[in-house]
Amino acid sequence: MAAAKGSLPRYIVQRVLLIIPMIWVLLTLVFLLLRVAPGDPVSAAVGGKLDAQAMAAARHQAGLDRPMIVQYLDYIKGVGTLHFGKTISDNRPILDVIRDNGGATLTLTLGAFIFALAIGIPLGLLAGRRRDTVTDAVIRIFGVVSYAAPIFWTGLLAVILIAPLGWPTYDIASPETKFLVPAHTHILLVDALISGQPGAFTDVLQHHLLPCVTLGLLLSGVFIRLVRVNLLQSLKGDYVEAARARGIPERLVIRRHAFRNALVPVITVIGLQVALTMSGAVLTERTFNWPGLGNQLVKYIDARDYTAVQGLVTFFAIVVVIVSVLVDIINAIIDPRVRY
Amino acid sequence: MASTGALVLSLAACGSSGGGTGNNASGSSWILGTTETVTAMDPAGSYDFGSWNLQYNIFQQLMVVPAGETQPAPDAAQSCDYDNPKQITCKLRPGLEFSNGDKLTSSDVKFSFERNIAIADPNGSSVLLGSITDSSNPDKPKLADGAIETPDDTTVIFHLNKPDTTFMKVLTSATSSIVDEDVFPADKELPDAKVIGSGPYKLAQYKAGEQAVLEANPKYQGDRKAKTDRVFVQYFSDPAPLKAAIDSGQIDIAWRTLSPTDLNDLEGNSDVNVLKGQGSEFRYWVWQLGTKVGKQKAIRQAAAYIIDRDAIAKNAYDGTVKPTYSIVPPGFAGQKDSFKEKYGATPDVAKAKQLLKQAGIKTPIKIRLGYTPTHYGPNTVDEANELKSELNGSGLFQATTDDAEWERYQTLYKQNAYDLFILGWYPDFLDADNYLTPFIRDGGFYGNNYSNPKVNALLDKELGETDSAKRDKIIEQLQDIVADDVPLIPSWNGQNVAVAGKDIQGVEQTLDPTYIFRFWMISKKG
Amino acid sequence: MLRVLLSPFRNTSGLARWILVAGLVITGIFVVCAIFAPWIAPYGFAQTGEHGRFPKMAPPSATHWLGTNDQFFDILSRIIWGARTEITVVLLSVIIAVVVGMPLGLFSGFIGGWVDRLLVFVMDALYAFPSLLLAIVFAFLLRGPLGGGTVAAALSLTAIYIPQYFRVVRSTTVSAREATYVEAARAIGAKNRTVMGRYLFGNVIQSVPVIGTLNAADAISTLAALGFIGLGIQPTDASEWGYDLSRALDDAQSGIWWTTLFPGLAIVLLVTGLTLVGEGLNETVNPALRKRRIRKVRLPSRASSALVEERS
Repeated sequence: MAAAKGSLPRYIVQRVLLIIPMIWVLLTLVFLLLRVAPGDPVSAAVGGKLDAQAMAAARHQAGLDRPMIVQYLDYIKGVGTLHFGKTISDNRPILDVIRDNGGATLTLTLGAFIFALAIGIPLGLLAGRRRDTVTDAVIRIFGVVSYAAPIFWTGLLAVILIAPLGWPTYDIASPETKFLVPAHTHILLVDALISGQPGAFTDVLQHHLLPCVTLGLLLSGVFIRLVRVNLLQSLKGDYVEAARARGIPERLVIRRHAFRNALVPVITVIGLQVALTMSGAVLTERTFNWPGLGNQLVKYIDARDYTAVQGLVTFFAIVVVIVSVLVDIINAIIDPRVRY
Repeated sequence: MASTGALVLSLAACGSSGGGTGNNASGSSWILGTTETVTAMDPAGSYDFGSWNLQYNIFQQLMVVPAGETQPAPDAAQSCDYDNPKQITCKLRPGLEFSNGDKLTSSDVKFSFERNIAIADPNGSSVLLGSITDSSNPDKPKLADGAIETPDDTTVIFHLNKPDTTFMKVLTSATSSIVDEDVFPADKELPDAKVIGSGPYKLAQYKAGEQAVLEANPKYQGDRKAKTDRVFVQYFSDPAPLKAAIDSGQIDIAWRTLSPTDLNDLEGNSDVNVLKGQGSEFRYWVWQLGTKVGKQKAIRQAAAYIIDRDAIAKNAYDGTVKPTYSIVPPGFAGQKDSFKEKYGATPDVAKAKQLLKQAGIKTPIKIRLGYTPTHYGPNTVDEANELKSELNGSGLFQATTDDAEWERYQTLYKQNAYDLFILGWYPDFLDADNYLTPFIRDGGFYGNNYSNPKVNALLDKELGETDSAKRDKIIEQLQDIVADDVPLIPSWNGQNVAVAGKDIQGVEQTLDPTYIFRFWMISKKG
Repeated sequence: MLRVLLSPFRNTSGLARWILVAGLVITGIFVVCAIFAPWIAPYGFAQTGEHGRFPKMAPPSATHWLGTNDQFFDILSRIIWGARTEITVVLLSVIIAVVVGMPLGLFSGFIGGWVDRLLVFVMDALYAFPSLLLAIVFAFLLRGPLGGGTVAAALSLTAIYIPQYFRVVRSTTVSAREATYVEAARAIGAKNRTVMGRYLFGNVIQSVPVIGTLNAADAISTLAALGFIGLGIQPTDASEWGYDLSRALDDAQSGIWWTTLFPGLAIVLLVTGLTLVGEGLNETVNPALRKRRIRKVRLPSRASSALVEERS
């Protein structure tokens, strides 16, 4: 039980060191999958037009007929030196793709998270407090259904409802805004704010509403249930029983002791929803024509663009790995029992 | 919850310039929405609609095909003529400039072709320039020696390596765009955002996958003067948001690709017009003559008697496509409905039965139909099912369908996986030959093992024939032979469809078989 | 074994029991549809006509209770046959994932050492990966050799869930392995295999159904998403709700609501049903949440319960 004095720093170092091998495993997995799958960027692009000989020449040009191991080592070397390469289907440097479209995904997921937390936490706490009442049932069912409904379904229903009202239903900003706002941080919301263009910031914010609410609804379902479960668990804790024994009114017991302790693990577990959020982001971005990385990824998968898919997936993997390591570290700081 | 509602209302109140109906306060700009994607702005790097369309607006070519016409007319050149079937002489307009002020001369023209061939991008269209290419070293194609002669700044002479009457049309396609030799590298492509051309518009902004912004080029000289100062092109990854956008007026024009249901619904929207022009997109069913079923002519002809094109157009495509009876679409010089002449406009099961009986073939015949589910749109499966039920309904066939994703499909159909499989085609340039040579010469690009020496001889003849009346006759002959041999069965022609707001003018004129969307012709009232 | 399986049910009371029951009923309806589809469904899943063609995109009527879609199929039949597809795919993928993941987890947790570390490491890496992306890549990979069928979809979902069973089973094993009864068993001389099989397995299997149902729910969502992107099952091979939904989404904007509403509802209902079952089970299996009249104040080990919630 007694944790050694130096165990926190050691834990942190351990987790950080594991980042690189973890990413390597994912990269290799993706590389293998993409190469084993039939098809390649050339046939996807010009397959219906060129005959076999011309396509073979084109493949040779693109370096697609080199031995697997050569392509693999090339790829790993590239990632190591942070040269993600260029996409095959439209010749864009992948770092450019990440830079240009990462901001949109970032603001979408953050906005969705904020919305989900704003709805999820209060409702989860409420449901936990009033366990086994009608309120609890209704909230839990809402939580389940909002997660169960396919996001492209709810998204489209939202579009149908909102479009006649004159509210923007697709993309991250109007064309003029995108044209007039100079790119400094490459995060359009921020750039619009600092650009001083009249109406630009509001325009971008308006466009965020529908996608963030849609994705946020999906996530809130998960959060409601998480918060509720953690609250119930913390209500069983000895300290709660002790507080009750001391005669503190139930209201204060819950608010001061249970809530706070319930939320602590929630924070770390929410951090682990990054993977879920990214999957949701891909579908949301397609539904709303959002210029984010998820949309780009599906586009490049359709085009069988190895380099692009590898690069983007690598980036996703790095993000997820770093976030989960950060979450683990935060968890370790807060909860000494976790360090091993 | 109430506070969120108040926030929504206040944002709606102050955000009227951003979203909502009637996007453009100024009236001197309009927005086009499309699901096409852009591979590259550089003419050396693309072979697809999305890219070519921007290139037609940003660059000049020596000749162009004006809206609604089929014959080339001058653009950067003031004249281009065949001296003989192997030589074309073009005279440039004097004093041409690129949008950055650089002078456009014959050396820019030669440079454009030279780099296109040398770069040989797998996604590019340099394959169209075969008549001036030296491919003796397949790893390093280059401009054939002496293929382009530039005796002075305003004269360009093309020496073709074989008689080719289609090359004039190749000069009108986006692959022949003229680029600035001082800006574009000779051995690789220029990043998209940096392209410089001499066309009616210049590229003001490009966000890949999101939008392109074009502004009128004041230095343009030619007949294609821009009517609007600024054009926004927005790229959609899915047709559903595109439909919502045009339906609610958030964009002015939607072009490619809305589903038949969407189009039919938009007809009922009083704020937009659904405009249909003639198209040249082509769907056809190809026989694999390498299979037991495919190699029997009587079977192929029997199926040609049975196919009900009207039913396919109605049931699979809600009537938005036109049945076609020839391998060459209507509107092309020399076109002839050979399949209608031979097999009739409606199905004739009795004749099919008789044919099979005479050939001594036992029925029902087991036949495998192949299709690919996404590459040509989601209605492909409906067409396959429709054909299957027509064949089975005749009692003479026992048809099954099988599908494969595009990447595998292309290999499978060459490997005899299907007896009859569906393919689509967009022309590279508007010439009947572009629907003949790629299909019927020695198995075509799809390798279906059809080879007829008479056909090959006629193809050579029409490529070298400069008298257009004579050439048309040869092309008609070819279509008749195809109707008899049935290496493929034509199914339908697509129309060129766009949806535009009621205040947009000029769209209808540009909807023609070239699929060139001519921004310079379009304007917005008010 | 039966007593163990039924104990969650008997242990519930009040709302928790209702939730479990509701979930079971909803899921049960779909399972019945799946099993008895040929007898229940009015038409075949790829049937376009009986005496003459069905109408295209016709609203609900006496002959077509839920209407028809733009491929001339009867929607009610597509839903019922679709249940069979969904359940088959989900069962396949969950079973394979359990069969692979559970033994691996047991083995890894029990053996420990560098083998354990290596496996944990690989599984962690896989687990961190966004599931939909992995499914997409797998669907591409498997579509070729296996065609656009149920097996390809199932296998693509399998890969995503193996790490989860592995994790839970392993952590339960790790904590159980230190328990005194295991030590005692070893002292008697029980072989490793016996210890794992007889002693640990029973402990571990309790958490699997919870994860299983939650995974099944997830699998259906992922299958629908694959269909939406165009990587699902072809309509003539089987009826799949996600595919029907993707074809119908366009129509919804044209005032044709029945093609979108019913497949969407089917997905929502089945996923909800499965999740409710999972939640209900969780209430009882998870000792921290269980409401029992006689309470033994015994805090569970943090690892196992935390991991069970993590998945939800």
